[in-house]
Amino acid sequence: MAARHSNEQSVLGASTRVTGRVGGEGSLRIEGQLKGDVQVTGDTEIAEGASIEGNISAESVDVAGSLVGDVSARGTVAVRAGALVRGELKATEVSIEPGARVSLRIETELELDLGTPRRR
Amino acid sequence: MATVIGEGLSIEGDLTSNEDVAVHGTFRGKLTTDDTVVVGATGAVQADISGSSVSIAGQVTGDVTASERVDLQAGGRLVGDVRAGRFTIADGASFKGNVDMEM
Amino acid sequence: MRGNVRGQGDLEIQGRVEGDVNVDGDVTVGEEAAVRGNVTGAEISVAGTVQGDLRGSEGVLLERGARVVGDLSAPRIGIAPGALVRGLVRTDGEPALGSPQAQRRASAVPSLRAVPTSAQRPFVAKEAPRATVSERPLPLERPAPPERAAAPAQPERPTVVERSDQPAARREKEAPPPPVVPVLAKGAKAKKKRRED
Repeated sequence: MAARHSNEQSVLGASTRVTGRVGGEGSLRIEGQLKGDVQVTGDTEIAEGASIEGNISAESVDVAGSLVGDVSARGTVAVRAGALVRGELKATEVSIEPGARVSLRIETELELDLGTPRRR
Repeated sequence: MATVIGEGLSIEGDLTSNEDVAVHGTFRGKLTTDDTVVVGATGAVQADISGSSVSIAGQVTGDVTASERVDLQAGGRLVGDVRAGRFTIADGASFKGNVDMEM
Repeated sequence: MRGNVRGQGDLEIQGRVEGDVNVDGDVTVGEEAAVRGNVTGAEISVAGTVQGDLRGSEGVLLERGARVVGDLSAPRIGIAPGALVRGLVRTDGEPALGSPQAQRRASAVPSLRAVPTSAQRPFVAKEAPRATVSERPLPLERPAPPERAAAPAQPERPTVVERSDQPAARREKEAPPPPVVPVLAKGAKAKKKRRED
């Protein structure tokens, strides 16, 4: 199935509460509360004051609110200063603004080669 | 609209809100708001819907309850019972169910 | 440089360090620096490479070029876009959800962890300088005597730890003499004393 709707943005407004699964094409901005998993082809944004209790699979994730659950992003994860995030993050890159409250296990594809000391 | 379920999106579960809700994608479960509900032409809903006014241009299977009115637009299909003070069915719409307008 | 660094002042690392770093002040790991060991300090800033845990009593900041494999723990943590991290990152001291790695954290080098630097706090760093850095024998085996005998350092200024390939020509960023850090002779094998990643 072609990604016909990948440019669309869906929004769960501030007073909206969803218990259940959210998935499909496009990006998602959450201003309310979601208890359940998100699996979208686009970006997921958790606005300030919003919360997700569940796992997220998305292109990228931007959290300014609260997220408790695991994240699997094909791209980047950004945690903003006022955010609260707990869980496991898998992404190509993770950034965290000072001030965020986090308890995370970050898995990026990072291998260090500090081998034996060598002259430069 | 405060809450918009885009065409490619699918939500399965309970949704409650104080604000208006537009469904252009797929919704299955239960949808309850104090404000308006719009099911767009591409919307496909399998749920009981409750709102102040409900406008349907897509497909709904489920009971619809509105404190004010329910409007079934041309191209819209509704299978389920309707409870509302006002109910309109446009030419080209399809409806199967019971109607209770004593509210 | 191989060995463990302990002290009261700030520390700036520009070269290679194999060993744990534990200071009361701030620690800066420069862009070209590589540390294999845990780093404990007040405000820890990393622009280079670290394989080990970073524990900041005030904060931990990873800048754009940082590459860190290890756990980060501080009340304020910043990871700039472009920095890469793999490990636990906690601002609250609690283990991440469902993570067994939280228990591995403390296991690595018992001799070098939990240094009671607070007991040394009464020393005012600005006075007649006596670097507390490694004046006492460290439990590392060192077949050769320290390569660098050092004069006492002035801990209130940043101390630079240079690469071990320049043992004789110790250029400092600033005037202060180097800390007393017992160092393995180049080529000697360091004892494997921490978890491999």
